Amino acid sequence: MILPGPLVIIALPLAMAVVLQLLRHWTMLMAGLGAATLVLIGGLVLLAPLDAVWQVSNFTVEFGRPLVILGRQLVLQPFDQLAIAFLFFTTGGLFIVAWRLLPHSNFFPVGLVIVTLLATALLVEQVVYAALLVEMAAILTVFPLHEPSSVASKRGGAPGALGGMRYMVYVTLALPGLMITQLFLDLFAIFPNDQTLLNTAAVLLSISFAILFGAFPFQSWLSRVALDGSPPMVTFIFTVNFGAVWFMLLDYLRTYPWLAEQVPLAQLFLWLGLLMMVLGGILAAAQQQLGRLVGYATLVDNGAMLLALGTQQVEGTALAMLLLIARPFSLALMTLGLQGLRRLGDGADTHRLLRGVAWRAPWRAFAFLIGGISLAGFPISLSFDARWGLYRLLAQEEFTWALLALLGSAGVMFGLVRSLRVLLKRSPTVKRPVGEPLVEDRIVLLLLVVLILATLFLGFFPQRVSHLVYQMASWYTIF
Amino acid sequence: MNPVLYWIDRLSALASGPAVWGVFLTGAIIYLIAEWRIRLLAFLAQYFFVGILFTRLFSERPEMALLKTLVGWLVCGALYLSARIRQDAQGRQAAFSWAADIPFRAVALAMLTIVAYLASQRYALPFVTGELALTCFLLVALAVLFIGTEQDVVVVGVGILNLLAALDIFYSTQDPGLLVTGLLIIVSLLVALAISYLAVVEVVE
Repeated sequence: MILPGPLVIIALPLAMAVVLQLLRHWTMLMAGLGAATLVLIGGLVLLAPLDAVWQVSNFTVEFGRPLVILGRQLVLQPFDQLAIAFLFFTTGGLFIVAWRLLPHSNFFPVGLVIVTLLATALLVEQVVYAALLVEMAAILTVFPLHEPSSVASKRGGAPGALGGMRYMVYVTLALPGLMITQLFLDLFAIFPNDQTLLNTAAVLLSISFAILFGAFPFQSWLSRVALDGSPPMVTFIFTVNFGAVWFMLLDYLRTYPWLAEQVPLAQLFLWLGLLMMVLGGILAAAQQQLGRLVGYATLVDNGAMLLALGTQQVEGTALAMLLLIARPFSLALMTLGLQGLRRLGDGADTHRLLRGVAWRAPWRAFAFLIGGISLAGFPISLSFDARWGLYRLLAQEEFTWALLALLGSAGVMFGLVRSLRVLLKRSPTVKRPVGEPLVEDRIVLLLLVVLILATLFLGFFPQRVSHLVYQMASWYTIF
Repeated sequence: MNPVLYWIDRLSALASGPAVWGVFLTGAIIYLIAEWRIRLLAFLAQYFFVGILFTRLFSERPEMALLKTLVGWLVCGALYLSARIRQDAQGRQAAFSWAADIPFRAVALAMLTIVAYLASQRYALPFVTGELALTCFLLVALAVLFIGTEQDVVVVGVGILNLLAALDIFYSTQDPGLLVTGLLIIVSLLVALAISYLAVVEVVE
């Protein structure tokens, strides 16, 4: 029996999701099986030659063979391999992180379904289906995000379901634009003289992706999700879901190359990216809540990615990919640190309630700091190498742009330093800080150390991943 | 033409005009009245009117329009269950009441209805008939009101579903294929499930 590659990529995680749902009682088993499945499929996708045939028992697997569903093709292309592997490996890593943090959680089975939907969105050729699959994945994200047992905090009077609700609303608002864009672009292919169709499509596409990336004025869901979600969930949404959206944007631009030629999309990305970085930096600098700081730091990082794409160079696309690869490490560290600090602040993460808690949870405060520095794009981290490259690229074009981008990053760093001052502040009346130290789970502590070491290692040796991102970027010669 | 299809086509042609305003009226009831039972009944009726309008789109395949209506009613069922659980958990008695800030709501509703009507006159949607275009604009206007001015998860969710219904009507005229229709139905069901879940989680928390 011949199995097309996409069928293996879709069917295996879905089957495992059913198994994990039955194993909800055993968290370690769920996390282990889920992570192993994702790493196995991710590895296969990454390493399997598309023209090779694999014989497994009575089955013949052909990774390059398309899967046809109701006349629509799902096919694994060379440029999808690294993108899908990124989604699968990141989710696998987050399953390990979630093992101790989300006992009996539905994140494991639902996460597998979500990542499968996102991978399918990248495999399907028509972008309209990709948009619908991303929408489904976003809706499913709401379930683990607001799991009653793992809700990060219960702040006075605020509705607990707000983060998921806003996320769902914004992604749904983006859906019509994405679907209608393809319709207009297909019409434009038939009526090439009707420039209105192209302009409308470009406007709709830009608005839709601005919503999905949380650009101004659609940024409110970012901070709310960062406030409401558990560490693995926030990292999952901001890396895996965002990553899929990012690759979907690149797929749009690759599918319709004349769109970028006839409409000044690069300029649009450039200005939108700058706006996101500057505004995100200002908002991050002004924050009094650590969760919101995470949200706005992500907004700045998204802006940097769009800005890099707007440079219209392969180096720019590669730098954006580098930022995407660095993000799971920084965000996982930040959110893990935040989770521990919140426990000492009775579930809240305001400056007022977290005064001096760094002395009671030093590892968590350190993790938050290292993750924050990395997400802000300061040394020593992989993001720093990407941001530095971005500033240099921008400075070649226009020095002011580089300066504005740097100011955005500095805003995040300023917010981080302010928060750190509060976390380290000792009570003036007593010599020693009040309160018991946080009782740390040794495995979570080990995870923190591993993540810190990985972040520093990648910061010192970025060349390990740079050739990978150049390979990824070379598939997307858009502008 | 099959006589059954012929009569369905004739009846839907007669009913589609009132159905457009039925969609608006039910939306207005959801927006202006706070009692959740009345809101859900209105939402149920709204899906009936949307179903009538879908028969204009799927004149050769009325079963598709029926499917859309049934899915809508299934959505209402899911919302009813969660609203019921929420009321029981909060221990509140159901009683008729107008929504808060009723003058503001009435003005906002009137303004957006006028905007939707004028937009349907001014901007022609490609391949969409006048009645269906007006329905699309009205549903989008209602979605904007529900999402923009409401805090209740269920009503915001109804806004999302209205937006999806507008998209469904518009997209089905362009591409009446089974796959997109099926995927949009799955999206609607998932949205309903997520809203029901969030409505209950709020109380559990």
